[in-house]
Order: sequence, then structure tokens, then C-alpha cells
Amino acid sequence: MSDTLLEVREVSKTFTLGSRKTLKAVENVSFGVEQNSICVLLGPSGCGKSTVLRMIAGLETATEGRVALGGKAVTGPGQDRGMVFQAYTSFDWLSVRKNVEFGMKVNNIDAAKRRERTNHFLNLVGLSKFADAYPSQLSGGMRQRVAIARTLANDPEVLLMDEPFGALDAETRWLMQELMIDVAEKTNTTMVIVTHDLEEAIFLADKIIFLSSHPGRVKEEIIPAFKAGKRIADKEHIIRMNGYSDLEEKLMRLMREEGHREN
Amino acid sequence: MTNSKPPRDFFSVRSHVGRVQGIISAIGIWAIFFGVWIVATSLGWVNELLVPSPQKVLTATHDLFVNRGFSSDVLVSVGRVFISFAMACTVAIPLGVAMGTFPSIEAIFAPFVSAWRYLPAPSFIPILLMWFGTGEAPKLALLFIGVIFFLITLVMDHTKNVRTELIETALTLGASRYVIILKVVFPAAFPDIVTAMRQMMAMAWTYLVIAEIVASTTGIGAMMMRARRFLKTDEILSGIIVIGVLGLLTDVLFRVLHRQLFPYIEVKH
Repeated sequence: MSDTLLEVREVSKTFTLGSRKTLKAVENVSFGVEQNSICVLLGPSGCGKSTVLRMIAGLETATEGRVALGGKAVTGPGQDRGMVFQAYTSFDWLSVRKNVEFGMKVNNIDAAKRRERTNHFLNLVGLSKFADAYPSQLSGGMRQRVAIARTLANDPEVLLMDEPFGALDAETRWLMQELMIDVAEKTNTTMVIVTHDLEEAIFLADKIIFLSSHPGRVKEEIIPAFKAGKRIADKEHIIRMNGYSDLEEKLMRLMREEGHREN
Repeated sequence: MTNSKPPRDFFSVRSHVGRVQGIISAIGIWAIFFGVWIVATSLGWVNELLVPSPQKVLTATHDLFVNRGFSSDVLVSVGRVFISFAMACTVAIPLGVAMGTFPSIEAIFAPFVSAWRYLPAPSFIPILLMWFGTGEAPKLALLFIGVIFFLITLVMDHTKNVRTELIETALTLGASRYVIILKVVFPAAFPDIVTAMRQMMAMAWTYLVIAEIVASTTGIGAMMMRARRFLKTDEILSGIIVIGVLGLLTDVLFRVLHRQLFPYIEVKH
């Protein structure tokens, strides 16, 4: 965790609503994401965290400022920044295997390598047995695993996730969070994850960027120091650690302050 | 086991109808229909010249097919429907997908297409007859006009309904515009497009009969108009039944096609 891979520098985003009204969603946001680290964008709803993520993905353009990956300015979406959405995005007409192969096929990876990588990542997310099933036969959690495997198999520089487990039930969400730690450890993938779930943020993050709302600004950059630079593999373990509840309380207070400002 | 079940109320609101009840209900309504028809004709409640008995209609249908070469009329009609429908699809599907994908293309064609949709296709019959004479062309043109503008609109709407997240996922996987349209947008909309085709097929049959009744010497509609001249009500009813059966068959064909093409839609648990 040393070199900065992704840099967001003084980025603002103003949306035009109708002919005369505008909405400033994000204002002067700056932060960096180190190579092989997990960065969590946390904040109350309406803080523009998804907008920041979409600007990193190149799906929105910044009104001001710039986003750079490995020193190169981001100008649009591309293979180097894979994204997993909250809504299910499986291609229903393709089998699980073909879903995972999709990105590699688009990028002209040869068939043998495609097959090998697909098997590898299906195994990593625990879906080897379902390779020939259709997504519509799978549960919500499994569909998100397909999306994660599909994005990772495409070998992005950074994995972007927009509230990826928001639609899942609680125990599936825990499993998925543990899976992400496992994936991060095994693949050394750099990740930027958007969430409004405090527990999820503390569990996953090497660094938390807390955004305030309307417009979204960086309120605080928080390193969960109690983890001492290590990742914790299971949730039962982390909540018993010294410093966990202090950090949770702190984030709760930040959330509440923003909420009060709102109402 | 069956004894333990409480008796079902016939008028239970929005409850599931069992298999047996479903079959009995479906057959029952047709049995009543034919029953009333048979009783009314055999007891002389209706003028037999205007309402022939089902038996007579059946005999007439048999006679038409075996002795009067009716099958060639049927083939002509089926051919007209399928050729003109294929022509309409060839234009409507690519154009509809393009309109649903690119707002710039929609901006050009949508005002044009919606205006045409409000013009009843049969109003073109006189001018089509003057342009194309009495051959096959005016009939095919009428079916084409009658189907295409609705089909374009439906295909466009189904294409627009493809979720943005699917397109954005493909973009972040590195897909080009060309790949996104062919490998994401079209496959995602395709099941609904086939359903739209099935609905429009019913409309094609309607225009076919109009075309054949107004200006044709061949086809099912033309046979019915000939029969009218000789007061052959049984043959007119034969024609109606044959059209109904053909419509039903094409509908079944489309449903089978849908199941074959999109197995992933059927496997939901």
C-alpha cells in the first residue's frame, strides 16, 4: 500500500435540471486510492458518493477537476475500471460461464485463456457448479457473484462497486463481504466501494472517505487504525476487536450530524 | 385425501383455478356455443338460409377442400401474410432498435411514424389499386402499411426498456457501441420483440381478409365473397373458421418459437 493508483483531484459535478435549475451534487472532492487497497466511500444518502464513483468509471463527466488512473486522465468508461452495480446486471440470455467470458471476448482474449480465467474466477466466487446455469436460476447473492467474477475476469486495474450488496438479505450480505476480503487478499485487486452501511464500511475499508451531503464534500478521511494495516477475514472477529465500537460510534455521529443538517 | 379439502367457493376472488376446473370450463363454454347453434338450427328457430347448421358448415368445409381446390386459396392467403409480414419485420426491427437506442434517430423518425400510425391502412386501398393494379402488389402493400408502423413503435419501446445498467456494465467491460447494440441491447429486447411480432401477426390477418374481400379473385376472403353471391352461407362460415384456425396456429407457432429461442425465460423457479 504505497503508490497511489487512482487520483480524484478537486472534482465537482453540477447537474442541469430542466432549463434553468442546476444541482451541485459534488463539490471539490479530492482523495487518492493506493494500489491494492480497498477504499470505501461512505456517507448519508444524497451525498453524491455514487456520482463520484460514476465519474471514476467514466459514466459521468466531472464538471470541474480531474480523475486519473495511473497518472492517465479518465475520459470515458473502459476495461481498466470494471464496475459492479446494486441492480442485477447479469445478461440473462447467456449462461453463467458466458457472462463471465463476456468482457474477455469483447477484448479479444483468446479462447483458451478465456476458459482458464473463467474457471479460475468462478471457483474464486464459489460458482463452479453453476457454470452452465442461466442467471435467472440463481439467487440474488449468486447473481452478484457472477457480476463480480465477470468484472474480475476482465482484469481491471480497479474494481468499482456501487452499493453492491444493498439488495441482499443480511446473512447473504455478510457472506459477500467476507468473500470480498478473500478476493482482495487473493487477487490484490484495488477496490473502490460505495456504501451507506457503517458495518460494511468498517469491515471492508483500508481507508474510508466520509462525504457530507448536498453538495458532497469530503468531510473526513478515516483509516481504521485498530486493524493495524491488516484485513480481518470474518465479521464475528472484527466486532470483538478493540477500537471497532469506537470507530462505529464515530461514524454514527458523523452520519447523524449530516442527517440533522438535512432535516 | 380429497375429503379433507374444504369445498372451494366458485367465486373466490383471485384464487388459482385448478387444472380440471380449467379444462372443464374451457370445453364447457364451447359445448354451450355449439349446443345452442345445433338446437337453434334443428328446431327451426332461425332461417336456415342465413344460419346453416354446424353439420352443414362442416360438410361444406370438407367439400371445399376435397373437391373445390380451396387449399390453393388458403396457401395464397398464408403466403401473402407471411411475405408481407417478413418485409415489414425486415424494416421495422432494425429501425425500431435504432430508434430505441439513438435518440437522434428517434427524433427523425418518431414524428413521422406516429402520424402514419393514425392513418387507417384500408384508406389506402383505392390509391394502392390505382398504383399497383389488381395483382399481388396492392395486397402485400396494404398488409405492409397496416403492420409496419405499429411494429416499429413496439420494437422501439421494447428497446428503450432495456435497463441502463446492462449498457453501462458493458461499457465498463470495454465494449464498443457496435458490440453493445448487437450483444446487449438486441438480445435483451429480443424476447419482447418476438412477443410484439406475435401481436402484430393478428393484425396482418385482419388486413389480409380486408384486402381479399375488397379486391381479389384468389384467397380465403375472395372465396367468401364468391360464396355470398350464391347465398352459400355455409361456405362463408367455413372461410371464417379456417381463418380462425390459421390465426390460432400462427399464435401457437410463435409461442413455441418463443420457448425455443428463450429457454432462460422458462426456467425461473
